[in-house]
Amino acid sequence: MMRSGFLPDRIIHLHPTRLCNLACLHCYSESGLREKAALDPVVLGDALALLRAEGYQVISLSGGEPLVYKPLRNVVERARDLGYRITMVTNGLLATARMDATLELLDGMAVSFDGLATTHDHIRGRVGAFAQASAAVARLAAQGRPVAAAISLTRDALPELPELADHLVALGARALQIRPVAMAGRARTMAGFASYTATDLARLYLVALALREELADQAKVHCDLAPAQGLWQQGEAYTGLLGSCDVLPYHHRPLADLVNPLVITDTGALKPIAYDFHDRFTIAHIDGLTTDGIMHYKQHGLAAYQALIGNALAGLQPRTDLVDWFDHCTRTSEQVALGRATA
Amino acid sequence: MSTVSSKDLADRMSKRLANFKLSDAAIKGLADRVVIDGLSIGKFNPCIYGICIDYFTDKWPKLDFKHHHGITKWEVFPYGIIDWDRFRVRVAFQVDGIQEGINGGGGF
Repeated sequence: MMRSGFLPDRIIHLHPTRLCNLACLHCYSESGLREKAALDPVVLGDALALLRAEGYQVISLSGGEPLVYKPLRNVVERARDLGYRITMVTNGLLATARMDATLELLDGMAVSFDGLATTHDHIRGRVGAFAQASAAVARLAAQGRPVAAAISLTRDALPELPELADHLVALGARALQIRPVAMAGRARTMAGFASYTATDLARLYLVALALREELADQAKVHCDLAPAQGLWQQGEAYTGLLGSCDVLPYHHRPLADLVNPLVITDTGALKPIAYDFHDRFTIAHIDGLTTDGIMHYKQHGLAAYQALIGNALAGLQPRTDLVDWFDHCTRTSEQVALGRATA
Repeated sequence: MSTVSSKDLADRMSKRLANFKLSDAAIKGLADRVVIDGLSIGKFNPCIYGICIDYFTDKWPKLDFKHHHGITKWEVFPYGIIDWDRFRVRVAFQVDGIQEGINGGGGF
């Protein structure tokens, strides 16, 4: 099967609600206790059926906190019936035995961490959040479930990463997904937040490489950063979107060959790549989503997205630094919308 | 002076890199050197030269190290009959500061 971008699978990032039992200082979706809106499970299920036919294979649940979404079990069951594999990113506070019946339906879970206890609890705004998240990892691992840790690091928390990694692996985490905190949502106004310099990103990347070696027998270590040149040389991964003589016309290709990952926001918007990808590039809405509507996007809306990704890829050619590709594309979408870049 | 084993270095590599005591210049220099065109990074280990990195490639490696200062040694291992189209490239980098503190001189 032809690759669809730099991901190994065709993925939907599903944010069914922004309601969350925490209100983290760096939350890119600005979720919290006051965000009561949530997707209608019937409308969502119908949209997932259509998107399955469009080639998507995996649903990654996020939020908000997905475990506070009341229809979660119904949505997960419907998605499984449709043939999706389902993973979840959670803050872990509610991943208790009470939720086991739902957790058992998942193919994988990642508990999110921001650093060691003091840093994590400060960013989460909750004393004991680190201990509870750690307990969730240990409990799930003891049950034999594939549990990972999703680590978002501010620049100042970077020195904590090796000890945090040791802690999580000792609890039973089988994989560590490491990324720098994106300059999005509340992170833009987070007090004391120091932006990563190019050298800071290089430091994070090298630490992740070292951890990959040190923990090779215990856990997989993945970093969202990649050398720009490495990405540039894998540009053929976007052949489905950007075209070649060998591929079908775009409107004959499933959406998953063109847009990957696809995001469903808590308002029901379908967007490329990331929750905060600029609204100008919104594909459709799950309410009333039809095959004809998706076809209309392929024929009339896709060109702007193609131009954005094509230009973003071309922009990698002269670069020798490290890139968080999806964040890079998301920031580019903002620049394009503001007229500061071309698409 | 105590002997520093490879294990000592390996156990501490991530902490040594994460700590901001290792200068930005050293980090930048290392990062610049590990991003070599067309090669994917495999193993990443401390060695007597500083840091040794194994790369894998399916093409005969065309290595131009003129612009990669600090490379002290490099070797190419063709997999041969095991896999004709696979080569392992091992490059040893000198990294200033990476071993500081190992022998009680300001470690953590």
